Amino acid sequence: MTQTAVVIAPGRGTYNKPELGYLARHHADKTTLFAEFDAYRTNKRQKTVTELDSAERYSGPTHTRGDNASPLIYACAYADFQSIDQKQFDIVGVTGNSMGWYIALACAGALEPIGGLEVVNTMGTLMQEHLIGGQLIYPFVDESWCEIPGRRDEIATAMQEIDARPDHTLGLSIELGGMLVLAGDAAGLDAFENEMPRVQERFPMQLQNHAGFHSALQEPVAELGRAALPQNLFRQPNIPLIDGRGALWSPKSSDLVALWDYTLGHQVVQPYDFTAAIRTASRELMPDVFIILGPGTTLGGATAQALTMSNWRGLGDKASFQSSQSAAVRLLAMGMEDQRRLVV
Amino acid sequence: MDRADIVDQAFRSKLVKGELPGGQPAGGPLSQHGAVAIFRAQCLSRNLDRRSRKMQAVGQGYYTIGSSGHEGMAAVAAALRPDDMAFLHYRDGAFQTMRSSQVPGVTPAWDMLLSFATATEDPISGGRHKVLGSRRMMIPPQTSTIASHLPKAVGAAYSIGLAKRHAPEHMVLADDGLVMCSFGDASSNHSTAQGAINTACWTSFQSVPLPLLFVCEDNGIGISTRTPQGWVAANYSIKPGLKYFFADGLNIFDTYRVAQEAADYVRSRKKPAFLHLGLVRLYGHAGPDLQQTYLSKDIFEGWEADEPLLHSARLLIDAGILTADEVLAIYDQAEAQCARVAAEVVTRPRLQNATDVMASLIPPKRVCTPTNGPSAEARAQVFGSDIKQMDSLQPMSRILNWALTDLMLEHGEIIMMGEDIGLKGGVYGVTQKLATRFGPDRMIDTLLDEQSILGLAIGMAHNGFVPMPEIQFLAYLHNAEDQLRGEAATLSFFSNGQFTNPMVLRIAGLGYQRGFGGHFHNDNSLAVLRDIPGIVVACPSQGDDAAQMLRECVRLAREEQRVVVFVEPIALYPMRDLHAEKDGGWMRSYPSPEKRIGIGKVGVTGDGPLAIISYGNGHYLSQQAAKKLSEQDINTRIIDMRWLVPLPVKGILGALEGVEKVLIVDECRTTGNQSEALMAMLHENTDLPHARIAAEDSFIATGPAYAVTMPSRDSIVGAAKTLWSAS
Repeated sequence: MTQTAVVIAPGRGTYNKPELGYLARHHADKTTLFAEFDAYRTNKRQKTVTELDSAERYSGPTHTRGDNASPLIYACAYADFQSIDQKQFDIVGVTGNSMGWYIALACAGALEPIGGLEVVNTMGTLMQEHLIGGQLIYPFVDESWCEIPGRRDEIATAMQEIDARPDHTLGLSIELGGMLVLAGDAAGLDAFENEMPRVQERFPMQLQNHAGFHSALQEPVAELGRAALPQNLFRQPNIPLIDGRGALWSPKSSDLVALWDYTLGHQVVQPYDFTAAIRTASRELMPDVFIILGPGTTLGGATAQALTMSNWRGLGDKASFQSSQSAAVRLLAMGMEDQRRLVV
Repeated sequence: MDRADIVDQAFRSKLVKGELPGGQPAGGPLSQHGAVAIFRAQCLSRNLDRRSRKMQAVGQGYYTIGSSGHEGMAAVAAALRPDDMAFLHYRDGAFQTMRSSQVPGVTPAWDMLLSFATATEDPISGGRHKVLGSRRMMIPPQTSTIASHLPKAVGAAYSIGLAKRHAPEHMVLADDGLVMCSFGDASSNHSTAQGAINTACWTSFQSVPLPLLFVCEDNGIGISTRTPQGWVAANYSIKPGLKYFFADGLNIFDTYRVAQEAADYVRSRKKPAFLHLGLVRLYGHAGPDLQQTYLSKDIFEGWEADEPLLHSARLLIDAGILTADEVLAIYDQAEAQCARVAAEVVTRPRLQNATDVMASLIPPKRVCTPTNGPSAEARAQVFGSDIKQMDSLQPMSRILNWALTDLMLEHGEIIMMGEDIGLKGGVYGVTQKLATRFGPDRMIDTLLDEQSILGLAIGMAHNGFVPMPEIQFLAYLHNAEDQLRGEAATLSFFSNGQFTNPMVLRIAGLGYQRGFGGHFHNDNSLAVLRDIPGIVVACPSQGDDAAQMLRECVRLAREEQRVVVFVEPIALYPMRDLHAEKDGGWMRSYPSPEKRIGIGKVGVTGDGPLAIISYGNGHYLSQQAAKKLSEQDINTRIIDMRWLVPLPVKGILGALEGVEKVLIVDECRTTGNQSEALMAMLHENTDLPHARIAAEDSFIATGPAYAVTMPSRDSIVGAAKTLWSAS
């Protein structure tokens, strides 16, 4: 029986060492698509995605650079989307986290595959060239995904207080389930890292090679992006899209000027609310399952947290999510081999 | 078969066969993607209606009055801004689904199905009632079926212009916003609607800004009574100050074009407009309403053949925007979406007990920026020569005037409105000089319509003002009672505390004016106010109390967002003497501005074993009686309730400690007033012997018999002696 599904595209930081060779491993059948992508990159005098994917060894400095990581993740995720068994799954919506929004646009048909690459590549390259600021991640839930009373307020207070200091910039970047991603300059990020209690042995965690995405720091990048990427790249989506505010963009009824403006304006310089995107998807579209595209597996936790925060299908906490997953898998991550098999 | 299913099947089959109704082609400013967006909102609304009936059929849904036939309202929503406050007719599901698409993150199917299921997660009413509404979308919930939301729409629209001059701290409406208010053709006949529209015309006629768009959804019938052909147009196309527009509500292109023209007119000229939409009604009034029992089949089948989704399909297909298959796919997707979401919402928790239901009766508190009050210089300037008299004894009307002056000086968001309150200064002079002190825009002389006075207050409170409307005489409240009972008092309840309309309603009332006015100026029943959940009723009896209680009332409204009624006993306004002529025993000096008497705090005089509980004029007379009783060695303890609703139980019981017997003195009628509540309260809480003396269940006469139906000093003395001497 066909199941309804909402597809989620991942953002930066999802192509790591275990993902090396992802395209070759899973998408040997899509050589034409990758040839097109590679030609685009060659034309830009950039390493091709297949070259990056087939490197002998994973290199942090190379693979995590914005101008490489972005197109690589795009190629993997877009190819994963193509591999979903559409006889088995009726895709009722597509969304994404952060850079995953660009991938979602392509999956939904609002950008041609090469248009999607152009957007991803341009924005990834601009981000890398300017590399304004950085990001860190910090949870406001405990390891059972229960909200720690008062923690959000503490984070907000610290954030505002640091941001108010001379030569410090810090603000919200992404609402990511039970975690917040903050964007800031080095002084702002360091201050937060030094002053907030360390939790779960790794947070606050600064994200390597990430710029201060989704914040006012990116105004120059947004401006260059708008100059480089014309509105006519965008077309009516074939599948409803849910953006980083939780807004739906539906086929035949999307204002394409507004879609371009959001994608290269608001989305770049304002916080991205992945939790709201999942809330809208889970409540308004009420799919049977969510499918997270590869590469990587890191978005699963945040998605599950966002689903429990939305009380989707009665899920209220980590335990109820885990027991629900063991009864009938409702969250399928294509970056996980066993779950991937259920999707393709 | 359910008529909704018949219409559903007809839509599918006519679409496939291409048997679509004729009409004007697509045209005007509506874009192709905009037209599809409207069609999507229409399909969602239609399928929400169908789903509500299916939920009800299996006992999982509780509301079936639908929006089918009125889906053209989606085009009206598209022509407005999502921050234009909208007071909606109950058939405006499509307006809400369309506006939902204009506000990121709103989930209309989920939200509205939760509402049908009365689930506690229903984001507007918390599962209390199926209402259209949303805080994020500036749609205050309406429960009205009788056009009682029109007066407050006038008030909200008026507040936009006023807020430009006096921006309140909690302002929510934009300077360039407009207010939209919709209603059916049948309810346009209601006196409340007529009054509100008249008030809008009266205001606009004087070129006072009023950015208000009335939308009359004319489906030609009110439950079973047909609206005469042409009636709405004839009635509203030639009103002074009101611009009339008509659109074919079945044609989304025409509706959008005309609605945009109307909205532009209202927004740019700040004048009211009347948008008349021609629509049809599908499936009768509500689920259980069998229209075939009062309508011939050809009429409702004619409506079904002319239904708006078929027209939208024709327009979109003929204009080459969508194919028939794409039209059907959008419709099918909406149906499937509603079915999926409905299956989930019915599993969500519902309200279980009285505590849960009542949780939003009292609005939430809000943070107001503290002030240190006006400076001495500012006070001196505003009060002028009055300030020198503040140390001397004064009657209540004077003290109230000063208290109002201080309150208006301190809180710029206080606006007063009423009949003759400005230039004249009130019938009894309580508001004298206030118009000079604060200007006519804060002291509004209204037209003679109590519904409009209260509507003005309610609407202005939606935009952050703290209105202090005045009802000139208690008897005049009754024609406007529903504005308080059905509208102001219910807003927090039905919006789960998200919308509020704090105010202090001043009403001059009660009896004992010496031979003046008869019943209509001496109404002595507060029953109409006593049973309204959530409101506060206060009634002072002496000047210093009045000032301090009024300050507490304003605090309750400003900070706790309460709806407060302040009943001012007319006969005590000028009262100077207590026991003898020229003894000055009832005059008081003006309490300093920071002094308040908290809600529930009663006044106590004496510590005798015979308690007399009263308020207002009854308190005054009881004080007179106490002197006579003490001369006969009966020592009393006079308790002034001050706060009538909620009953100050704790305060009264505290004051009764050591008391042996209790006499209740109620100047209001025996039936339905304070004495009944007090008798019951004493019975439930004490073993003290008690009795009451209350007014007869009569209207008040004019002339020498003006007071004979009410307690007097001597009758109180008599009742007290009887009670005291009883074994």
